[in-house]
Amino acid sequence: MTFEDQNLAKKAAEGNVEAFAQLVRGHSGLVYRLATRILGVDEAQDASQEVWIRVWRNLPTFRGDSAFSTWLYKITVNTCLSTRRKEQAREAREFDEEPPYIPAVANVENDPETAVLARERREELFHALERVRAEHRAALVLRHMEGLSYAEVAQILDVPDGTAKGWVSRGRAALLVVLSRESDDGRSR
Amino acid sequence: MAPNRWELLEKIGAYAASELPPDEARQVERMILDDPQALGLAESYLRMLALLGEEEAPQAPRAVIDYAIRRAAVSAFFRQAEVFFAGIGRAYVDAFVHYLGPRDPGPAGRGI
Repeated sequence: MTFEDQNLAKKAAEGNVEAFAQLVRGHSGLVYRLATRILGVDEAQDASQEVWIRVWRNLPTFRGDSAFSTWLYKITVNTCLSTRRKEQAREAREFDEEPPYIPAVANVENDPETAVLARERREELFHALERVRAEHRAALVLRHMEGLSYAEVAQILDVPDGTAKGWVSRGRAALLVVLSRESDDGRSR
Repeated sequence: MAPNRWELLEKIGAYAASELPPDEARQVERMILDDPQALGLAESYLRMLALLGEEEAPQAPRAVIDYAIRRAAVSAFFRQAEVFFAGIGRAYVDAFVHYLGPRDPGPAGRGI
């Protein structure tokens, strides 16, 4: 797939729309998924469109030094972060006397109540993610939702490996604190 | 909050994600065995990481794909049109220069 992508990217850079269309069809899932996880569903569609405009415009600068998917991750994360720059100062860096805690949910297969609870938890997760600082959220999403290595996360975010590790670590802790608060709120409602 | 509490929170997170070197991991394990709150934190992290891992992957809406391809097609058309008209313009200028420049002025022009 990578070699094929490189070929398609080269043709698309020369103005071949069909090659570009194949890249879009092959990778639109990655772009939309990442945009949804970093920005939320409401803004993911606009951001995805912006990503593909940037990809088309910048394809002539793609040299193929890295995989096409890595380059695409980079453009997607940068596009998402550029819409989130103003929100940097709001992340929780502390918790109350009680340490954060997420209760276990009974997991019964084919049980409708379990399914509803699982959906509610996913919604809580999305809300909580939105309250984590944008860079930390992006690092967290790339590491724990996209399953990338720290070297890849660092390359995509254009930071040293140590910074990528720090961002993931802080994002993970902040998400736990927010998620724990949301779980408390949910139970007290 | 004392900064070491936050550091501890991050360290237990790194342990839950299996990212600590072996000796640090053993230290955290001992702490978890001794302290029920640390154990609760580790369990919460594991639940959160499981939740992150199982999150469903949404499909891109058809509109996103269509829009991207349409924009590229329009852009490619204008690029080609630009090249075409620039080519015509250049050819016209070349012809004009050729017409004015090397044309033989004739005997009158040479002052004969």
